Amino acid sequence: MALPALLLTAAAAASAIAVPVDPAPRVTTWAVDAGTTGALVSDHRAPSVSIRVEFPVGTWSPWAKAHHASEAFGEQDDDPERALRKRADALGVSLGVGMEDREASVRATCLKRDLEETLALIRDVLRNARYDEKELRRQDRERAIAWKGNDTDVQFRLGQAAARELFRDPEDPRRRDWEKPPSLETHAAKLAASRDQLILFPGRTVGFAGDLTEDEAKEAARSLLPASGGEAPPDMAPRLGALVPASERPGERSIPIRKLTQVYFAYGRDSLPWNDPRRPAYLVANHVFGGSFYSRLYVALRHEAGDTYGAGTRESGDVAPGVYGAATFTRAQNAATIEAKLKETLAVFHDKGISEEERAAAVGYLTGSRAFGRQSAEQILSRWMSERRMGLPPGFSDDVVERAAKLTLPEINAFIRDFYDPAQFTMIKAVAK
Amino acid sequence: MLAATLLLTVTASAVPAAFVDVTLDNGLEVTIVPDRSMPVVATQVWFHVGAANEDAGSRGLAHLFEHLMFGATASREQGDYSKYVNAAGGEENASTSADETIYYAEVPPDAVDGVLRREADRMRNLALTKENLDNEKKIVTEELRLRTENDPEARLLVKAQRALLGTHPYAFDPNGSKDDVARATVDGCRTFYDRYYWPNDAHLVVVGPVDPEATLALVKATFGAIPGNGRPPDDVPSLYGWPFPESLSLKEDIPPVEIALEGVPLPPPDTPDGPAITVLLQLLSRRSVDPFREIVVARRKKAIEAGIESIRFRRGGGLVFYSASLPYRRQKTAFRVIDEALSELDGLDWLTDDAVASAKRAMLVGEVRSRVYAEDLAGELGRERWWRGDAKLAFTRMAQLDAVTTAEVAAAWRIYVRGGKKIRIYVKPERVPFYIRMFGWLYPLFS
Repeated sequence: MALPALLLTAAAAASAIAVPVDPAPRVTTWAVDAGTTGALVSDHRAPSVSIRVEFPVGTWSPWAKAHHASEAFGEQDDDPERALRKRADALGVSLGVGMEDREASVRATCLKRDLEETLALIRDVLRNARYDEKELRRQDRERAIAWKGNDTDVQFRLGQAAARELFRDPEDPRRRDWEKPPSLETHAAKLAASRDQLILFPGRTVGFAGDLTEDEAKEAARSLLPASGGEAPPDMAPRLGALVPASERPGERSIPIRKLTQVYFAYGRDSLPWNDPRRPAYLVANHVFGGSFYSRLYVALRHEAGDTYGAGTRESGDVAPGVYGAATFTRAQNAATIEAKLKETLAVFHDKGISEEERAAAVGYLTGSRAFGRQSAEQILSRWMSERRMGLPPGFSDDVVERAAKLTLPEINAFIRDFYDPAQFTMIKAVAK
Repeated sequence: MLAATLLLTVTASAVPAAFVDVTLDNGLEVTIVPDRSMPVVATQVWFHVGAANEDAGSRGLAHLFEHLMFGATASREQGDYSKYVNAAGGEENASTSADETIYYAEVPPDAVDGVLRREADRMRNLALTKENLDNEKKIVTEELRLRTENDPEARLLVKAQRALLGTHPYAFDPNGSKDDVARATVDGCRTFYDRYYWPNDAHLVVVGPVDPEATLALVKATFGAIPGNGRPPDDVPSLYGWPFPESLSLKEDIPPVEIALEGVPLPPPDTPDGPAITVLLQLLSRRSVDPFREIVVARRKKAIEAGIESIRFRRGGGLVFYSASLPYRRQKTAFRVIDEALSELDGLDWLTDDAVASAKRAMLVGEVRSRVYAEDLAGELGRERWWRGDAKLAFTRMAQLDAVTTAEVAAAWRIYVRGGKKIRIYVKPERVPFYIRMFGWLYPLFS
């Protein structure tokens, strides 16, 4: 199990064939207006520009729910004649409009020479009042039918069960997201009115990544959106409820699903928010426990006896806690064996912590893997926007890794003794009906 | 506008000055694209053997063997490769398809030497043991249960693939069958290894911030020491011209809809019409406004959903028009609606010079956007070499596509879509809720 020090030395040794890497582009920001920030990651390697316009309202917002903002924003590019989408097709632009948990966004990537036309298209999407009501009604019926497919979707059923156990309030969006959605609003005028309000709330970001200079980006941002207006409504921010304390959660729950020949396990608890001061220790601990192909879980459940194909940890949540846990599966006849091993792996991890070699390997992974997020200007812009959205300082993601690298083994093991306490974990199983 | 198009195409089509594309004395093909603007190095080893090359009774062996390649070698312990890559911050994986088996790694630059040494090592020095094989057989069987047995849509696809393709080598799920996996032996795996895992059946691709001469020297010192041997896999017959059945009916535990699919086979991508077919597929199935769906769903309201999908293999592919309806509509009606829509598409209103130009533009956007990712470029180089015979096509294909005319795309529609052998599949749900059985026929009244 222990990683030979020789391997670490080899991984850290300078390469005879690698050459120095060009510095990654940086984020430049400016105020577009009182409620709008502009951002540019300039990269002239390819003659293309990615545009991302973000609004601070997501599906978790009570305002969004009350105003059907998800469909108002997500369907605004679909007029009855598909004129807007045809314009996107004509430009070769993949246009994306949609709403996530905490934000609504418009995304497009175009050739630089098509920038003006693409910006004009985005402007027209954001003021389109001709929603395709018939298509919305069709989608509503399709969603109802497709919902039946969740009955046999193991990952959905496990996620739904975990959310029901962990979040007390049925209206908590982290729980509500797993329940059957209400009917779509299909009245075009109502949708347009909702979208028209949404796009004026302050806290907007206009981001560009690619073949643009700062002057070009500022010019492009200036004319893209109507002026931000006034204050955000009081119910714009997500309203998240309380977690169910571990002592009140059942130790175990089974979900019956038709035709299963395997048993699927999710052994979980609440996750650690991104801005929790213990997050650096968590990153190291999680990597060793279930974050790699030779993690404790993979070794115990796959490599040692072939009990499973997959074993590892999963995490949802952001600066608000979501669900964290170990997940695996095995043939039905082997369920008791793997369940015992899963519990034992967690118990040993909790009781004995990790070794110095495991700590060093995890730090090597965490620091080295940061390079993957610097491959494109789009990635750099996306990370900056994500940190901003969560109220985190720029560079937070890199900084938390730096802090993780400085932690001592006793500090990490103290965290493990607290966070990985088996009493905090609930076992949810999907079994044959 | 034309000048601008050509300029951009040339930009996207330029083969980098330091591009290395050589074949070593032992037959190993090596492609190196140095690019210091990339912060990671991608390596890929393409073995030109896949599930389509398996013999009856050993379905899934190519995939099982892919798992074994992460085992111990004569000089390295089990897990060495993965631990090495992981400790450097990299990622490693592998995949087995019908046509090839690919071993991937992406690492920060300092770790690339070690990756290449380990890839060379496991190409011939794998320690195949019964203990490891028995373990991997259990793991692969769990993977098979996960991916196919417990997923209704995957079960449906595997059943359709098997029934449609009969004895064609593409008929079989690359994950294999539980029985065949259980039958695998160390001797059988050794035979597979000794037949297919040699330099002359492989293509090594390295993309990222590396010195090309130094990289080639390391490749020669490591891979170059392995002799060429084995024999290449038997060629797979083209899907185009294969005697498919005319129709097929299937049932599965899917949501309560019936799905009608009408497909035609497509020729391999290295045929002269390949670029025109690529533009045709872009126009039909990769745009936000799907002309077939507009007729069937939006205008005629004859289905809940409809669309066009394509699938491509090295030796052919397929284009499928599908529609999904509540289970009140008769099979015959569903296919009549599809045929009427196709007849309408014969008018080619959707196939104008402007539409062809925009399809090319969309492909160019995708091309320049993905070019900054080492892994994406490495994958394109590997695929172009194996599927169309020349890695450089990854750089020059946009010029090929740019040269395609509207008339050539129209000809591809006529020959391959409308003139192709029509195959019909009808899928019914195993369970239909009572209210849909009773009242589903009312659906069109409210559309």
